[in-house]
Amino acid sequence: MTATMDRRALLTRAALGATGLVAATAMGSLAPETAFAAGAQFPDAGQPDPNFAEGLIIGRNQDLLQVQGSDGRLHRIQLTGVTSVWKLRPTTIDQAKIGDGLYARGVLLPDGILAAEAVWVNIVNLTVAITSIGRNGVQLDHHGQKVVGHVQAGTTAAVYNGTPAVSDLSMLKVGRHAQVIGAWRPGTNEIDIATIYTSN
Amino acid sequence: MGAVAAAQPLLIGLLLLWSAYGKFKAPDQADRTALPTLVGESRAKPVYRTVATVEALLALALLLPPSWAVEAFAAVALSVGFTGFLIYSKVVVPEASCGCMKASAKPVGYRAIARALLLLATAGLATTAAAGWWSAGAGLLVLVVEAAAFAMLSAELDRYWLLPLRRFRIRLSHPYAGTASSTTPLVATQRRVILSPAYRAVDGMLSSDIHDYWDDEDWRFVSYAARYDGRRATAVFAVPHQDSTPSAIRVAVVEETTGLTLYRPTVLATA
Repeated sequence: MTATMDRRALLTRAALGATGLVAATAMGSLAPETAFAAGAQFPDAGQPDPNFAEGLIIGRNQDLLQVQGSDGRLHRIQLTGVTSVWKLRPTTIDQAKIGDGLYARGVLLPDGILAAEAVWVNIVNLTVAITSIGRNGVQLDHHGQKVVGHVQAGTTAAVYNGTPAVSDLSMLKVGRHAQVIGAWRPGTNEIDIATIYTSN
Repeated sequence: MGAVAAAQPLLIGLLLLWSAYGKFKAPDQADRTALPTLVGESRAKPVYRTVATVEALLALALLLPPSWAVEAFAAVALSVGFTGFLIYSKVVVPEASCGCMKASAKPVGYRAIARALLLLATAGLATTAAAGWWSAGAGLLVLVVEAAAFAMLSAELDRYWLLPLRRFRIRLSHPYAGTASSTTPLVATQRRVILSPAYRAVDGMLSSDIHDYWDDEDWRFVSYAARYDGRRATAVFAVPHQDSTPSAIRVAVVEETTGLTLYRPTVLATA
């Protein structure tokens, strides 16, 4: 926890310009070729993107995930301290659990392990109609399929008519169409809502 | 009782007409039902149309004089067929839609089966009738109650009574009336960051999604993993709570191991 606080303090000072700037020439070349050479790995035409993986987490050994892709492929995904993990909100790498679904983007290492730079856990993007609003959730109709959307205080946000997101959900209306970004609760038809885009 | 039984053909006839109309209007709906599984892909649409024709003919027979006992028995047979088909759909092809009254992607639910059973009961009652519905008199009043029951079991009609009812209830007291707060949601901050000149200045260096975020006095900070000249770094954006102009957002690229700031665009183009 103190490590996180120290990190944030350092980054806070840097962003506000309270720290000195290192001279660019002190670090070697700034030529674009060298910048692009690092991590440049482009997929071959017709082949799966080597820097991307998706599937269900079927095993976890410390920070190495075994993931079963929906196309049957097995992936090994390494999480590190710099991996961004989204699970309803930006969170820590210990939140990627067995049984969760994920999308991962990173760099494929020569040993076949994907070093993840960004991971999205259980993320769903649904176009729905709001059929009912209750205290225990918003009932959604996703092309005939019932989905229950749960509101998480402090996290769930709403975008009305494309205006900036607000935490006020009192303008949600029954019968309206909406797009929902949320986190699926594995094994259920329930999601936690991160952002709901609708009209008011 | 005799009058009530005599009145039933009117209701059954109208329901079958509605059903046949829905099928004729959207014959493509056949592909969404369990029919392709039951009779084969190529025969689904002709079968669907045949059912609609049978429904329409039976409806006209029920509605128009004379009244024959065989009409009611035919309605019973049709209702048994509907109920059986819906149960088959629910069990064998759970994602298939009902294809009953109107084009809809909704899978067969218990309400659809209950409605088919109610139709069966009505048709059963009609077999005991001794006269046509035009001589049922007060028995026709019972139809109002039955029609209401059919309407409540019809998912196709929800938007005319159930949704307005729910809308009205929410107008009285919205379950999420107390959710407004002064804290900015992260997604709003993220949008401001993405539209800022600061983001354009470092976009090519970012390698992750939002890694961490925190509030400190008048600012919200959002950090991303980044690569700068081949080195691992962290890009941190400072977003002011008060000033909403895009150019007020600042960014620095920091190497965390040394604590050095590697890059900080100073003059940000707003164009």
